[in-house]
Amino acid sequence: MMTSLFEHGLLSATLAEGNALRDFIFGTGGTGHHAEMVEETFAWIFWISAFFFVVLMGLTVLWSVQYKRRATPVALVSSSHNTVLETLWTVIPLGILAVMFFKGFQGYLDLSVAPAGAIEMDVRAAKWDWRIIYPNGAESTEREKLGSAKEIPIFYMPAETPVKLRMVSNDVLHSFWVPDFRGKFDVMPNRYTYYGFTSGPIKGEKKLEAGPFAGTPYQDHWLFCAEYCGDSHSEMAAVVRMVPRETWAKIVDSWSGAGLTPVEKGKRLYTIQCASCHSIDGSKNTGPSWKDAFGKTETFTDGTSGVVDDAYVRESIYEPAKKLVAGYGPQMASFKGILSEDDVAAIIEYMKTISVNHKPAEGQK
Amino acid sequence: MSEKAAKADGNEDMSTINHHGSHAVGGHHDEGSYLAPKGGLVSTMWAWATTIDHKKLGVMYLAAVLTLFFLGGVAALAVRVELFQPTTMVNGKITGQVFQDAGGAVAAGHAIYNRIFTLHGAIMVFMVIVPGIPSALGNFLLPIMLGAKDVAFPRLNLLSWWVYVVGSVLGVVSIIMGGVDTGWTFYTPYSTSTDWDVYMRVVLMIGAAFVLGFSSILTGLNFVVTVHKLRAPGMGWFDMPLFVWAIYSTAIIQVLATPVIGITLLLLIFERLFHVGIFDPAIGGDPVLFQHFFWFYSHPVVYVMILPAFGIISELITVHAHKKIFGYRAMAFASLGVAFVSFLVWGHHMFASMGEMASAVFSALTFLVAIPTAVKVFNWVATLYKGSIQFTAPMVYALFFLFLFTIGGLTGLPLGTLSTDLHLHDSYFVVAHFHYVMMGGTIISFVAGIHHWWPKMFGKMYNERWAIVGACLVFIGFNLTFFTQFILGTRGMPRRYATYIPEFTELHQWSTYGSFILLLGFLVHLFVFIHSLVAGRPAPKNPWGGLSLEWETDSPPIEHNFHHEPLVKHGPYDFETTVPPHWDPKDYPIPASNFAAEKH
Ligand code: HEC
Ligand SMILES: [Cu+2]
Repeated sequence: MMTSLFEHGLLSATLAEGNALRDFIFGTGGTGHHAEMVEETFAWIFWISAFFFVVLMGLTVLWSVQYKRRATPVALVSSSHNTVLETLWTVIPLGILAVMFFKGFQGYLDLSVAPAGAIEMDVRAAKWDWRIIYPNGAESTEREKLGSAKEIPIFYMPAETPVKLRMVSNDVLHSFWVPDFRGKFDVMPNRYTYYGFTSGPIKGEKKLEAGPFAGTPYQDHWLFCAEYCGDSHSEMAAVVRMVPRETWAKIVDSWSGAGLTPVEKGKRLYTIQCASCHSIDGSKNTGPSWKDAFGKTETFTDGTSGVVDDAYVRESIYEPAKKLVAGYGPQMASFKGILSEDDVAAIIEYMKTISVNHKPAEGQK
Repeated sequence: MSEKAAKADGNEDMSTINHHGSHAVGGHHDEGSYLAPKGGLVSTMWAWATTIDHKKLGVMYLAAVLTLFFLGGVAALAVRVELFQPTTMVNGKITGQVFQDAGGAVAAGHAIYNRIFTLHGAIMVFMVIVPGIPSALGNFLLPIMLGAKDVAFPRLNLLSWWVYVVGSVLGVVSIIMGGVDTGWTFYTPYSTSTDWDVYMRVVLMIGAAFVLGFSSILTGLNFVVTVHKLRAPGMGWFDMPLFVWAIYSTAIIQVLATPVIGITLLLLIFERLFHVGIFDPAIGGDPVLFQHFFWFYSHPVVYVMILPAFGIISELITVHAHKKIFGYRAMAFASLGVAFVSFLVWGHHMFASMGEMASAVFSALTFLVAIPTAVKVFNWVATLYKGSIQFTAPMVYALFFLFLFTIGGLTGLPLGTLSTDLHLHDSYFVVAHFHYVMMGGTIISFVAGIHHWWPKMFGKMYNERWAIVGACLVFIGFNLTFFTQFILGTRGMPRRYATYIPEFTELHQWSTYGSFILLLGFLVHLFVFIHSLVAGRPAPKNPWGGLSLEWETDSPPIEHNFHHEPLVKHGPYDFETTVPPHWDPKDYPIPASNFAAEKH
């Protein structure tokens, strides 16, 4: 009888289709086909669990009261073994669990097998930044501040579109979790992992306020890192911003970095990949600040010292563990294969502009 | 056979005399309480430090485990206090961050938090929950319940204790040196790359876990042999109390699984020191391999943590409900079944990092483990039917256990189900789930067991009324602390976060309030225990009316446990046919007159 109730979707509907309990458990942000599926399966498990819980605890309370010791204890004679009962309560849960397993497996395939015709994007994770590289090679330049003042990127995503993410990490394990999508997958340093989903429609009334795309409706979702990765693990976040597909394409086009000067390019690279450890206002973070760094004399952990010049910066980016600045640990991973020589040169140009220690050569004055 | 019977007859006579002779009749010194001091303070301490008496070792483990529980608990409170508010920057000043670095960087403050939650996890898992019940209560009770004088290898037992001490000291030294921030799971490549400045402390912490593993193996070995060889005459396998079955199953897992983690941790140390390239992808290793190794051990160990708890609950419910356990054989086999299947489910910790096929297989196997566990809960509830239930602190705790563990078990279902797990994995839902199982299950039953056997261990009664007050505070505090975390998890709060988005603040605050109620509850217990040791009324031999052998000897037991080798003539749960020995039902329950009684 219970199963037929579930088949008719009566009980699960009470949780899966927008009601107070669902909103209480998951919040109201859920979006996309996969989220619906997960909520539905969760609801199904929830009601089965609730049933068993109420029966078990009901009997416990009932019998505790009914058989409370009153005088000298003599246990009433009752059987302490019942083959039929014991078989039943082994076999019935086994059946329920088998169904649960299949439901779960279906949903899992739904997530790991990318939908047909998906837009492919690259996800790069590094302590403690997310990057998404769009099909045209562009990256988001928009940022937002967390409460703690850490800057996180805003990733624009096309609504109602199948998307496939190819993910890899530059250092330790991370995990890509957008809670509103109700799914996550680990990001590893030694191989690609994939995450496929079809994004849901935009809910809510929000509209972009400024910029060339003002008036575009959007909805924000959080992206968190779910696999512990060190100091700023809890701030390895990003905003996933759903916008209509056509606008999304235009926004992403507007980011393709063509025509930037080296300094602008360097600044952009800094914001996307280095800002979570290096400040430009002189404050100490996981790594040394870049304010007035270029041209100054740095002391290393081995007691030696040297000037921060082009060669040293390049070495610090490609082989960061070779010389460690005194007072810092080997937190920085190598950017070899991630930043090209051109990128490094651009970063160097940018570092020069924010350092008073940089003395431009005679001819350049 | 006939010889055995003759011997048994002889014993029979003696034990009848014993019934009436009650306390310490024996002439020579072996017959005194095992707690009786030996000469001066120094020689008494030396006697304890070198003792091969399983009871003293059990008591020392109990003291050590409770001390470490306190340490781990302080760390947990520190975590809850940090999470009371998210870290925010207000006019260039950090607020809501309790642990701050002198340099003033937010990330450096988080780094301190990371060390503290690692410390909490490592202490609670490796030094409290894994060794807790088997080493403290198991050591004390197993030989007595079997009617033996000691474990099979008493000297080995002493060695296990000192190995445990060395392991714990290594861990504490690593903490004093600044602690580690790897999480208790030591996932690579994070653990092979973090903290290079003072890298020895990570090696020390991993070394501590490695050494503690040896203590587990040795204790396990000892218990397996003890159960096989030292059962009293007349005690067949199916006459053993279920606590013994549970400890036995646990010991088997410990002996089989712990070497795997030993090797894994050793490899990890090699990786850090010599860069061999097994787990670190930068030099050709595979970080997921570490997870496989780690969980191949650590999942069975989840059952090392919970099976002994099952054993305790079986004892408590039967004795305090004065009722034969429902489905004894199912219970015994469920323990062994859980032990067996637990070796096959490690992959369910890694659904988010494995391929489809592997995930499917592990998910299916995980559901299999649910069956014997469910059967146990059904049996406990069925045992209450037509019982005669007295609401002592141990029984109240046992009922709380049923409540909490059922929630813990049921919330395991969406974690074993692949699609829902991809949402819940590594979220606060998992944190809440394993606290319901590990704390609501293991720690609660441990505390319940301590109350149940306290009169036996120390020969003193404790104050029932206050113990129940403590239990209720713990129950309320626990649910407030952890139920909120289920909802945080489903709503998207990831675990191991030092700060969070403002939406989660309210639930985090409730959780923190709960943790302080929990603290209050445990402080009440501490007070009750101290009060009992100082001013408790002497305990009778069998205060609750139990039928297993520990209730036939003195409270506290004499040095050799029994005046004469006991003969087992009834099962441990034959309440319908046997009057418990040495039992005056008027001993209990006497809640109202409890205070008066203590003044005697
Ligand atoms: C995970 C944190 C982290 C990230 C991300 C990071 N660094 Fe670093 N970086 C450090 C640390 C820690 C040091 C100091 C230790 C050392 O010398 O390696 C450092 C040192 C440096 C130095 C030497 C600075 C000096 O004052 O001597 C340079 C140059 C540098 N990083 C460049 C970069 C660039 C370029 C990026 C972005 C592409 C980047 N870092 C990203 C942590 C980081
Ligand atoms: Cu991360």
